[in-house]
Amino acid sequence: MNLELTEEQKLIQDTARTFAKAELEPVAAQLDQGGDRAPMLANLKKLAELGFMGLNVKEQYGGSEAGVIAFSVAITEIARACASTAVTLSVNNMVCEVIQAVGNEDQKHAYIPKICSGEFAAAGFGLTETGAGSDPSGMCTQAVKDGDEYVLNGSKIFITSAPYAGVFVVWAVTDKEASKGKGISCFLIEAGTPGLVIGKEEHKMGQHASATNELIFDNCRVPAGAMMGRLNDGFRIAVAELTGGRIGIGSLGLGVGLAAMDYATKYATERTQFGQRISSFQALQWMMADGYTELEAARLLLMNAAFRKESGKSFAKEASMAKLFATEAANCACYKAMQMLWGYGYTQDFPVERYTRDARITSIYEGTSEIQRLIISREILRNFA
Amino acid sequence: MKILVCIKQVPDLESRFKPDAAGVWFSDTDLAFRMNEYDEYAVEQAVRLREQLGDSAELTVLSIGPDRVVEAVKKALAMGCDRAVHVQDTAVHLKDPWQIASIIAAYAGDQGFDLIFTGMQSQDRGSAQVGVSLAEQLGVACATTLVGFEYADGAITAKRELEGGIKGVVKLRTPVLVTCQLGLNTPRYPTLPNIMKAKRKEITAIPVAELLKEEARTTATSFHHPAKKGSGLILEGDVGDLVEKVIGILKEKTSVLR
Repeated sequence: MNLELTEEQKLIQDTARTFAKAELEPVAAQLDQGGDRAPMLANLKKLAELGFMGLNVKEQYGGSEAGVIAFSVAITEIARACASTAVTLSVNNMVCEVIQAVGNEDQKHAYIPKICSGEFAAAGFGLTETGAGSDPSGMCTQAVKDGDEYVLNGSKIFITSAPYAGVFVVWAVTDKEASKGKGISCFLIEAGTPGLVIGKEEHKMGQHASATNELIFDNCRVPAGAMMGRLNDGFRIAVAELTGGRIGIGSLGLGVGLAAMDYATKYATERTQFGQRISSFQALQWMMADGYTELEAARLLLMNAAFRKESGKSFAKEASMAKLFATEAANCACYKAMQMLWGYGYTQDFPVERYTRDARITSIYEGTSEIQRLIISREILRNFA
Repeated sequence: MKILVCIKQVPDLESRFKPDAAGVWFSDTDLAFRMNEYDEYAVEQAVRLREQLGDSAELTVLSIGPDRVVEAVKKALAMGCDRAVHVQDTAVHLKDPWQIASIIAAYAGDQGFDLIFTGMQSQDRGSAQVGVSLAEQLGVACATTLVGFEYADGAITAKRELEGGIKGVVKLRTPVLVTCQLGLNTPRYPTLPNIMKAKRKEITAIPVAELLKEEARTTATSFHHPAKKGSGLILEGDVGDLVEKVIGILKEKTSVLR
């Protein structure tokens, strides 16, 4: 049993932390206010050049081959400074990993190096639809074979990075008659393909610098070679790849939660009321104790899930446990942190209200907390059947 | 050309320090360690020179200390050093700058390094003596507190930071040792692929006993927090009177007003 990071993982964590503090933190509040996204795109380019877009991707495709644990600690450090940058990183890594896992050599060489190097500012993961969220197998977007091409029609929603993504992994129904989840296939579609329209951007509560858009397919024609993996095997691919993404979002939640608790704890050691530091009051001490204990438990769950994935073991249950616990702990930490900052916590002059808004989505996207519980209980019950 | 860069791993300065059991240095329990800031400038400049010279140059990084210093060594390798020497010493904190310099000199003596980079000083001990002592023991020229560096045709042009914001420019022929100061460069972040590739670079481990020949010339006798000062003086009353009082105190207790 060894709970220490390796020297390489520590160096990656340190690089992420130093970069985040120097480059991301100074612009995070300004990015949150909306408007010009250029500083984030510039930082994404720098992060790509440092190797953060393909942490668990092979060197031959331009990845860093640093593994899943390094991916988790890196996302946490980035998220401590800027959740919008962290979610973009997490999705880019997930897209690289899905292409690496199921793409053919041509597809791998065509797209992974461009995401890893930052030539593509981002990559998109197009699964969710208005009627297919927690139940993605209920999707309606169709891909109909027409000679050597597929013609896609339909629309996706909540697509992270859509306006600046260079390529999208898109799921569509290729066999309407098949039973649930058995007639879906996966495609790689480049930005700018005729018929691929970037729809309206959502006005979200938080993570403002990360764009979230509708994606519309209006007779969008792609060559048959754009299909990734086997025909009608897409749903299985989506389920498998979302599992890895959960480690990313759990790690992101952990980072936001830590940022909130760190800020609030420091604040409590500085502010005085009743003639003493407010950190000397047991009420606040208990908030700190509970907040940090939950975040530490979240970290250990994440490390366990990442370790299992990196070792080639099954990790679906562990990834869901980690994502569920870490994102709920992050929300609780933000609630406590705001309480510790009293009225100032609710103002935009202090970062805790931003952390609170940024954390809220983490227990919703990449599978809601409710879906995580469903996955966890299904895995448990399997052992009792 | 053979280039050596010497680095030290130091505690994060935001750590809370407490004396060790013997009371002669700080306890390293629970401290986070990182590469000495000035040594990062040294590594960056050495790597830039290595890149300028291409494969005709070989860049070695050296560090003395317990096993944990390998993390700092790997960072230097990830930044672009070719190979590393780890002088294994679990009691490096008890050695004085002369001994540290002598250990490096014993290693470097027959290696024929043309150029040696060190930090100007360490962030923890801050003696600023290792670099100059090493140059002395190796019998090579030395320039300290570099804020500018150029190399061409066997000679370096070094811009040095002097007192009072004045800069001095010196030219030296190799072999030469330079110590690096804040402002010399902005150290690069090691890229993740390079961090992973650094695993495959050679790290030679040498027990310190094989290199240490010198006795300590100075010994730390105590390490402690400063004694608590008395509470500050709080003046109250009319502004005019306060001004008189402050002037009186400044005249009496300081040399600011005479």
